[in-house]
Amino acid sequence: MKTIATSFVALIAANAVVAQDIPQAENAWFAAGQAEIAKQLAKTPNTTKAKNVIILISDGNGVGTNYASRIFAGQQDGGFGDEYIQPHEGFPNLALAKTYNVNAQTPDSAGTGTAMMTGVKTKAGVLGVNENVKRGECATITGNTVASFNEIMSDLGKATGIVSTARLTHATPAAAYSKSVDRNFEATLPEGCTEQKDIAAQLIDAMETGVIDVALGGGRRNFIGADIEGEEGKAGRRAEGENLIAAATEMGAYYAWDQATFDAAPKDGTPLLGLFESSHMKYEADRDNEPSLAEMTGAAIEALKVKSGDNGFFLQVEAGRVDHANHDGNLARVVRDQKAMADAVAMADAMTDDADTLIIVTADHEHAIAFNGYCGRGSDILGLCMGIDGAGVVNTGEPELADDGQPYTVAGYLNGAGSILREDMNWAGVRPALTQDEATDLDYTQQALVPKSSETHSGEDVAIYAKGPWAHLVDGTLEQNVIFHVMHHAVTAE
Amino acid sequence: MDKRRFLITGGLALATPNLLLAANPPLKLRELYNKDGSFSDLALNLADQRVTVMGFMAPPLKADSQFFVLTKKPLAVCPFCETEADWPDDILAIYMRRKYRVISFSRKIETTGRLALGKFVDPETGFLSMVRIEDARFEVA
Repeated sequence: MKTIATSFVALIAANAVVAQDIPQAENAWFAAGQAEIAKQLAKTPNTTKAKNVIILISDGNGVGTNYASRIFAGQQDGGFGDEYIQPHEGFPNLALAKTYNVNAQTPDSAGTGTAMMTGVKTKAGVLGVNENVKRGECATITGNTVASFNEIMSDLGKATGIVSTARLTHATPAAAYSKSVDRNFEATLPEGCTEQKDIAAQLIDAMETGVIDVALGGGRRNFIGADIEGEEGKAGRRAEGENLIAAATEMGAYYAWDQATFDAAPKDGTPLLGLFESSHMKYEADRDNEPSLAEMTGAAIEALKVKSGDNGFFLQVEAGRVDHANHDGNLARVVRDQKAMADAVAMADAMTDDADTLIIVTADHEHAIAFNGYCGRGSDILGLCMGIDGAGVVNTGEPELADDGQPYTVAGYLNGAGSILREDMNWAGVRPALTQDEATDLDYTQQALVPKSSETHSGEDVAIYAKGPWAHLVDGTLEQNVIFHVMHHAVTAE
Repeated sequence: MDKRRFLITGGLALATPNLLLAANPPLKLRELYNKDGSFSDLALNLADQRVTVMGFMAPPLKADSQFFVLTKKPLAVCPFCETEADWPDDILAIYMRRKYRVISFSRKIETTGRLALGKFVDPETGFLSMVRIEDARFEVA
């Protein structure tokens, strides 16, 4: 024993000597590295049962998109961008998720949402059902439905909610409450489909049975008939005469449709239904008279806390339009919506206690986004790739030129509407001249290669960030459905 | 009065409006709207005047038409062919002086014509527009 103790002292001494002898020991990067190691050594797993679980899903915010968003937020904050830490990036636990669907190397949000919310991977385009169904064939749903985490948490006596900037009937929020052989059955069903309800009707059912207590997002049109005009003058998509908003209020729910009615929403346990746009909510850059993702997240947590009392709650939050802006190849709106997502993460973190609340931040899939080089420090993430200054730190301010003599942006897409290949040139292409002002414009579509009307998802991994009880189970390279099992273990652990 | 100075000043004054027009960058489509969808002060001030707006030609529904839709971002699908598509609110209906050559949806164009505000239903397509450029011509930017 004495020998061991002596060896231990010797080890400490040796480390100290090593540190003192290293010439760069006084370097700020070296000191920061040492501080990080100390922080990692101080980590202790939290193995208490989680009271609350919040999962925040940024749709389409894979590792690459998240990188662009980090740099953007950092540059908005006055820095180079690289050094910036988004709220979730400060979480202590991290893993990578493999996002493929059972029949799709490149996943869609219905399959990935089902994986995260039910614990099983399934086919692309289906919700709350296993892989035995055939997409679009209603008869195949019988015997193939699976329970969502919201249903399981509700059975445990907890309150649950969904928040999204997309339509509430869109894939990710719908995975929390619906079972559908096709994600597109948002407001209507094909003729002869009697085995399931449409997705909007399933949300109202879930609110009526108490599975969903708070639902805030877009998609009003899917809750009213084609003969009914919503508050903002747009007609619905349901059969004439159907009004699920009226059905919700008749059963006691509070309905909000704009900023004022959102602000006035009761937080006393009354079920909340917010439908702030006819379709998806506005991009953060264009938002007007409707709440931000952070505001909706805060209101949902407040309402769920009251509703659940000591039992706890589960909340799914989705930044749904990071994905849509990526589909447009419009990185300027991608990063602004991801900043709104980061603000929602900060809101959720500030309103809960790490001791009893598991928070998971992730994405459902990545996009075909890619990054050029070699760009100097501080190159605008939306703009041109500026040269590296060998004599200093900040970029040279001179754009790097490609072999065609033209500058190029830091970020681009492998496919999409920004393709430089043109139909009127028999799909040959020439990269147009590009200025920094054009590239950094809010409406700029990044250059792409493969011509597609809508840029695609990619099968690349996404990150999972976690903090709180059992967050240490988020580690390594995981199948995406494991996220459900981490959440489930956290709330059922003894 | 110094005659020479008068002439110079007069000449400059005559030339200035055109110079200013030429120097003004084309309008961005989003500058015509407020975030709540109403017309911006700029749009109201420019009503019935000739303006140049930058954008992209959405694939037209009809061949040999004098009408197309200008979008702020490249839009690869036809605004009328896809009934389920979610069209952006901030688009601009363009009524050309005469029939035009279709340009690829991804090429930036500058469209010049008279800015017309107010509700109008296109008799051929049934397309409802709230703002248009009439008597228009365009060139590839």
